[in-house]
Amino acid sequence: MKLRWPRCGQFLSLCGGGESGELNISKRYRCLRRSLLFIMLLLTMAPLSLVAGLSFYRYQKLTQFEAENNIRWHAESACRSLEVFLDRLKDSLVVVAGTHVLPGLVAPERLDRLFADLKNKHPGLVDLSIIAPDGVQVAYAGPYNLRGKNYLETPWYNRALTRKAFVSEVFFGFRNVPHFVVAVTKKEADGYWLLRASIDTDTLDQFLFSISTELAEDIFLIDQEGQLQTSSRHYGRVHDTFPLAAGRRGKKEVSVIEKRYEGKELLQAVGTVQGTPWLLVLEQKNVADRSAWLSFRNQLLLIFVVTVVAAILIVVRISQVIAGRVREADETREKMLAETEHTNKLASVGRLAAGVAHEINNPLAIINEKAGLMKDLLQLGTEFSGREKFLQQLSGLEDAVKRARVITHRLLGFARRMESTMEKVQINEVLGEVMGFLDKEAMYRDIRIRLDLQPDLPVVESDRGQMQQIFLNIINNAIDAIGKNGNIDITTRQVSPRAVLVEISDDGPGIPEELIQNIFEPFFTTKRDSEKPGTGLGLAITYGLVKKLGGEVSVASGVGEGTTFSISFPLKG
Amino acid sequence: MATIPILIIDDEQDFAATLAERLQLRHFAARAVGGADEAMALMQGGWRPAVVIVDLKMPGLDGIETLGLIKQHDPTIEVILLTGQGSTTAGIEGMHKGLFDYLMKPVDIGELIAKIEQAAKKGN
Repeated sequence: MKLRWPRCGQFLSLCGGGESGELNISKRYRCLRRSLLFIMLLLTMAPLSLVAGLSFYRYQKLTQFEAENNIRWHAESACRSLEVFLDRLKDSLVVVAGTHVLPGLVAPERLDRLFADLKNKHPGLVDLSIIAPDGVQVAYAGPYNLRGKNYLETPWYNRALTRKAFVSEVFFGFRNVPHFVVAVTKKEADGYWLLRASIDTDTLDQFLFSISTELAEDIFLIDQEGQLQTSSRHYGRVHDTFPLAAGRRGKKEVSVIEKRYEGKELLQAVGTVQGTPWLLVLEQKNVADRSAWLSFRNQLLLIFVVTVVAAILIVVRISQVIAGRVREADETREKMLAETEHTNKLASVGRLAAGVAHEINNPLAIINEKAGLMKDLLQLGTEFSGREKFLQQLSGLEDAVKRARVITHRLLGFARRMESTMEKVQINEVLGEVMGFLDKEAMYRDIRIRLDLQPDLPVVESDRGQMQQIFLNIINNAIDAIGKNGNIDITTRQVSPRAVLVEISDDGPGIPEELIQNIFEPFFTTKRDSEKPGTGLGLAITYGLVKKLGGEVSVASGVGEGTTFSISFPLKG
Repeated sequence: MATIPILIIDDEQDFAATLAERLQLRHFAARAVGGADEAMALMQGGWRPAVVIVDLKMPGLDGIETLGLIKQHDPTIEVILLTGQGSTTAGIEGMHKGLFDYLMKPVDIGELIAKIEQAAKKGN
């Protein structure tokens, strides 16, 4: 049977041209499956990836915002704590300066007492001294011998004179130890004098350490030029340079930037410590290294991967099912087209056969009559030499005409499309009638015909004569196939509320697979070389008749396994 | 048994003449003509065949139309349709118009004679 290329809509057209052949068809259905897979994956993966990406981005932004707020708050708190620490010291010094006059304070024992009192309140204090309006340190209480030192040329002294209370940058001073001073000024008759207290940067380091949190990677002070005022884990010791961007100086609010240090993502906050020349720098781990973020990222990734795998499995299955259904539908359509084509072919061949048979029958009739007349004349006439020979030749001619007549009559039988006379028919009875024709033939050939007929088989509405012809053709074929000594099994049964099935099986040699597909074609015969050659019309007629009666006929056979014809008839024609 | 007069109408003159001759050899009074006009002229001339064998497809009037004319002329004349066509439609139509039977070409002479005798018997 001719295989036609099946069409399955737009998807198949994506898969190239329309060549025929089983291999190509399989390839194109695979291509259809792949196209479906791709489109469905795109439709599922795109929104899924978009949602996952958006969630990732939004959560990252949120966490980043929270982390920035967190470090900003910590930096502001640290600045405020430092301001409070220094304000308390400044206040103490302001009170001392306010309640004393210069001559009273210069007395050594008085300053020592005051220093002891202040050290109790502010343990980080190193020393306490008084600098007279001429810049000379006139009194000193503390562990060093700095009395008499002149500060007139030091930068911090001149700046301190301009303010009521002053905090200096960190410097090394006469002691060559990093420290800063807190000084208050008081005006008397001789001019401004200073009450000065020194604090080592170790005290600042300890203070900063005490106010830092576990998240803090580094916390330190710098001056407005970026010079370190306390030691830093990342940027070195006092007076080393910290890279401070110009835009971050002199701002009241805390500025936060992202930074990378030794492969770590950091957030860096810089805030101004009010009332001092300092900026506080706080560095914390950034969001990317935080466990909450990592946990969220891992969970999101896991959910995404699981969903993607599940979606792929489902999409693969769905695309397989859809491609399978499309193929099934195409094959059904193809089968129906092939059957229609076959029926049309039968009709065309039938019309052709009728025309040919008619045209041949007339000259055949003339030959028949002429030969007959010659025979008649010879039989009536007198003896002459060769008369018997003539008679023999004429008999041969008549036999040839008879053979030709059989063929033309069969052709006409094939073409004859008599209107069916529908009546109530009991198929078991029809089979019984057909057996009446074939019993003797089967007996001569030692073929046993076994009937297994459903006793209460419903009657069908059909054409009795045509049904007889169908059974006669198939059983005759079975007898011819067996030749001698074999079995034919005939069964009838109702297979559905609307159909009855007749199966005719023989244990003959069977039909090779490559011939089965042509078995219902007109003029196709397997008996061309046998003793009783076939015309190739029997099964084509049978096929046409079954179709005409609204039934279906199929054949199952294999070499050495016999052949089974299954014919189904509708209960209502 | 009296000789049965038979008229063969067929445009295939060769066939008609040969068949007539064969029937004559078998003691039938057979005559052959090429069409309906000739046949009607013969019958209207006074010759009455007991059985008419007519071809279905002929130029001019076909076998069924000729049957109608014959039956109109003499309903007792039996007509056998001889056709090379497989269609039985014409045969069934002919039966409705009084056709005795129809046979297919090429026909066996024995079979034809049997039909002629049955027809003649019915006609009598």
